[in-house]
Amino acid sequence: MEIRIQNLNKEYEGHRVVDIDSLTVRQGELLGIIGPNGAGKSTLLRMIGGLETPTQGEISYNGKAYCSEISQKMTMVFQKPYLLRTTVFQNVAYPLKIRKKNKKFIQEEVHRILDEMGLTAQKYQKSWTLSGGEAQKVALARALILKPSLLILDEPTANIDPSSIAVMEKMIKKINEEEGTTVIIVTHNLQQARRLCKEIAFMYRGKIKEKGDARRILYHAQEPETSAFIQGELLI
Amino acid sequence: MKFKKSKIWSILLALLLVVSLLGGCGQAPSESPEDTGEEPAAPENPRVIMATTTSTENSGLLDYLLPVFEEDTGYQVEVVAVGTGKALQMGEDGEADVLLVHAKESEEEFVAAGHGLERFDVMYNDFIIIGPKDDPAKIGEIASNDVVKALEAISESQSVFVSRGDDSGTHKKELACWKQANIEPQGDWYVEAGKGMGDVIQMAEEMNGYTLSDRATYLSMRENIGLEILVEGDEQLFNQYGVIAVNPDKNDQINAEGAQAFVDWILSEKAQKLIAEFGQEEYGQSLFIPNANK
Amino acid sequence: MREIVLGVKGAIELLLSFDQEIYQIIFLSLYVSLTSTFLSTLLAIPAGIFLGLFHFRGKGIVVRLLYTMMSLPPVIAGLVVFLFISRKGPLGFLGLSFTPTAMIIAQICLITPIITGLVYNGTKDKGQHVKMLGKTLGANRFQTLILLICELRLNIFTAVITGYGRAVSEVGAVMIVGGNIKGRTRVMTTAIAMLQNMGDYSKAIAIGIVLLFLSFIINGVLYHFQQGE
Repeated sequence: MEIRIQNLNKEYEGHRVVDIDSLTVRQGELLGIIGPNGAGKSTLLRMIGGLETPTQGEISYNGKAYCSEISQKMTMVFQKPYLLRTTVFQNVAYPLKIRKKNKKFIQEEVHRILDEMGLTAQKYQKSWTLSGGEAQKVALARALILKPSLLILDEPTANIDPSSIAVMEKMIKKINEEEGTTVIIVTHNLQQARRLCKEIAFMYRGKIKEKGDARRILYHAQEPETSAFIQGELLI
Repeated sequence: MKFKKSKIWSILLALLLVVSLLGGCGQAPSESPEDTGEEPAAPENPRVIMATTTSTENSGLLDYLLPVFEEDTGYQVEVVAVGTGKALQMGEDGEADVLLVHAKESEEEFVAAGHGLERFDVMYNDFIIIGPKDDPAKIGEIASNDVVKALEAISESQSVFVSRGDDSGTHKKELACWKQANIEPQGDWYVEAGKGMGDVIQMAEEMNGYTLSDRATYLSMRENIGLEILVEGDEQLFNQYGVIAVNPDKNDQINAEGAQAFVDWILSEKAQKLIAEFGQEEYGQSLFIPNANK
Repeated sequence: MREIVLGVKGAIELLLSFDQEIYQIIFLSLYVSLTSTFLSTLLAIPAGIFLGLFHFRGKGIVVRLLYTMMSLPPVIAGLVVFLFISRKGPLGFLGLSFTPTAMIIAQICLITPIITGLVYNGTKDKGQHVKMLGKTLGANRFQTLILLICELRLNIFTAVITGYGRAVSEVGAVMIVGGNIKGRTRVMTTAIAMLQNMGDYSKAIAIGIVLLFLSFIINGVLYHFQQGE
């Protein structure tokens, strides 16, 4: 899915949290968004995901506006897993169940993806007994099982153990390469950005200051704020 | 294992639900009179609401009489037991169909004001003064059948006296006695309870004090309390019961036929005889003396 | 002390002998309380969920009113219902005074706010997340609603049990609108009050034991389901 953003802004109580002139995310891109806290990254993601309406401006998905058809093709993973109060299996099966897929298909798909992510042992475990890493993997599995055209992730591996992080990054890369899923991921982990992303956008005070090839941004940023941030100098 | 436990609890709960719904549904007053040919046809509205006093209900007389009435006439009497004041108020408001109380003056006022059709004597019982065995005011000795003297002694010795304090027939009788004795009962020793006869007797028992009670309630509780009869037989202590059918003009809901059926029945020879028999077996004495049409 | 022991002995005898009067009282209590809880639940769950999910003008006042009603003294509920359904009252023509139906109505007035409030609180906390989850997973409005109810099932269950507990244990409202009529509107609580009054401790304790036992079972069920979490 291709995303085009024009003159997008979001205001809270007179304060502009997001202020983007234009942003294009091409089909199949794996875009990482970095920036200090309060830069507006999460808000931008929520607007793209259809969870918040912009104050002004447009987001088009493959040339169309947001509608239920589009929403069925994209999914979002948050920093907290938000699992349903049921088993791991039921959680991952849910998106397929509501799309009325048949039982056999659901069984196969769910088992497949759980195996891939190393969650076979936890298949029938209750979601609230999982560790942080396991729960977040389940959340990702639940998102990926649909093979969405657009996958949005908001700091999905914050506070997760390294082996789970590795599994999740592998799955994200896989779906991007094999299915052509467009991925937009917000992360504070610059190593992760380097490992995963093809392109990186740096966001600061609601604006996209710089966007380009991942390597270039990380090692040869042009904007002063970008390099200051990457070098770890606090930006307010 | 886990499945079993939750299944047991769920079954228990479901069982509870089913049983109670069935049991509760069996509560519906669909107890139609048996068809034995001689029975009168079931009345159109079998529900008769009777307002009476707590002392009357607690005596057990109604439990004894009403099933016979129901069998004879097919009417079902629903007894709401409150204080005399409230019973008369219920009659005035048209909330009840028939009244059975014991406050003759108030009853006559009630009829005179047009709230009831007519008042009839039904039966009487008597009041007694009960108190602790050790009788601190010595009324058992000096005033065993003189209520005025007894009250004087109680007031002077400031012994605990528990009053109904609820505008009931018993309360009115008590106040009338104080008036006769020219005493206005006041002070810590005079406890105004605002409750029914049973409660008041309990209280007197707890506080080791005296109280005025109807004989029937006292006798029915005698097993469980230590208070004794100290004063009885004074004419002033006679307690006349009256029955009144509420004026049906008050509202559409009043069951005038049912009320009248009850009035006729309780004044009948059969009912009067039953009243006289009540209590003989258990206490060896009649709790109520029938006196209709006398 | 002897009183109590004798009372308990007598109570057990009464219960084991299946004394008809006592069991009639027990069943009526269950009938009234379960019916009122069921009907209240039908009203309260949608109301609570609606309040938890949506904003509207004057919502603050509604919520504050709801919280007040949650701790409404039962006698007031009884008084208000009585004023309406008494023969003198505007709904007198229904002939409801001193009936179990009136008791059910009074209890509904009492426990609907309680169940609504508890469901509202649960929805307030979780509702937004579930809504968001539904959206990101592609659920339509109806599916999201079902999801919400499933996610809130423990809250709802707790709310219903709490409501039932309140209904079966209150005495003021049912006394006023029911009149404690023998065989008709006499429930466990009003019977105990009356029996104590009459000094009939055995019967009072017998019914009290059943009431306690019922509470125990109900709470046991609730506890068990909570532990499963």
